[in-house]
Amino acid sequence: MSLTQVVRSCSRFAAKSLRVTAAVSSTAQPQMRLMHRISSNSPAVSALLNQNYSAWQSQFVRNYSAKPPLTLKLIGERVLLVLKLYDKIDPSKLSVDSHFINDLGLDSLDHVEVIMAMEDEFGFEIPDSDAEKLLKPADIIKYVADKEDIYD
Amino acid sequence: MSVPFTVRTHSRQVCSLYKRALRNLEAWYDRKNIFRYRAVLLRQRFDKNRSVTDMAEASRLLAAGEQELFETKHFQPRTFANSAGGCAFEREVIPPDWVIDYWHPLEKAQYPEYFAKREQRKQEFVAWWEKQYGKPDPKDLGHH
Repeated sequence: MSLTQVVRSCSRFAAKSLRVTAAVSSTAQPQMRLMHRISSNSPAVSALLNQNYSAWQSQFVRNYSAKPPLTLKLIGERVLLVLKLYDKIDPSKLSVDSHFINDLGLDSLDHVEVIMAMEDEFGFEIPDSDAEKLLKPADIIKYVADKEDIYD
Repeated sequence: MSVPFTVRTHSRQVCSLYKRALRNLEAWYDRKNIFRYRAVLLRQRFDKNRSVTDMAEASRLLAAGEQELFETKHFQPRTFANSAGGCAFEREVIPPDWVIDYWHPLEKAQYPEYFAKREQRKQEFVAWWEKQYGKPDPKDLGHH
């Protein structure tokens, strides 16, 4: 809901309530008919405005700041978590130095899927020429750390 | 499709095709469950031909796969932000390291410790190079 729509609906609401009060008591002061007076004075309307304003604020907050800082430990945890959640990998056999194809029994298409999951996890593309060298979780951790310029 | 800079084996080409096909499916089907269903179907199609040993048949299948991918390509594929075609591609330009060597001496004099260490590192690198690869041939020195 845009701000103009909010203001328009508020003024409609205020006009309706004014009509009711005018019908009930004929002693309403003529200047109360002014929309801006009513919308700023009436507590219900101002509460509605404030509520809409806060909802608008919380709904459209977007973070343009940098990513949270990565560490080698954090990268390792994230890589291992992604691999543990992959259904063709047995989590009990998984370690940092286990070979995807020899130790974990994946085939080359599964390896492609693993690399794509890493791309989605860390948000950058891994070209095929680099992907074919990343045969262990340790290689992936090192590659991501090199890419993000992380050394401790 | 692209200019071959290296010799790529058949299996590498199939893997590359599989990856591009999956990304293409991801572009078409933004609902995760529908995409997963299509991805499993795609995987099954690849697995059906995994035991083909006839090389002519295999390369014919690969060409057919490339053709199908070309025909079903998404008109606006999703890309990563920093990849070519992404919204932040080449947004941050990191100047190469050698630019610092061409600073004016007065500028360099403002950071004496850093540049002393930099010169020391350069000498260490030259020593490492000569240890690794031997002394350079004098007739190779000078590139003009």
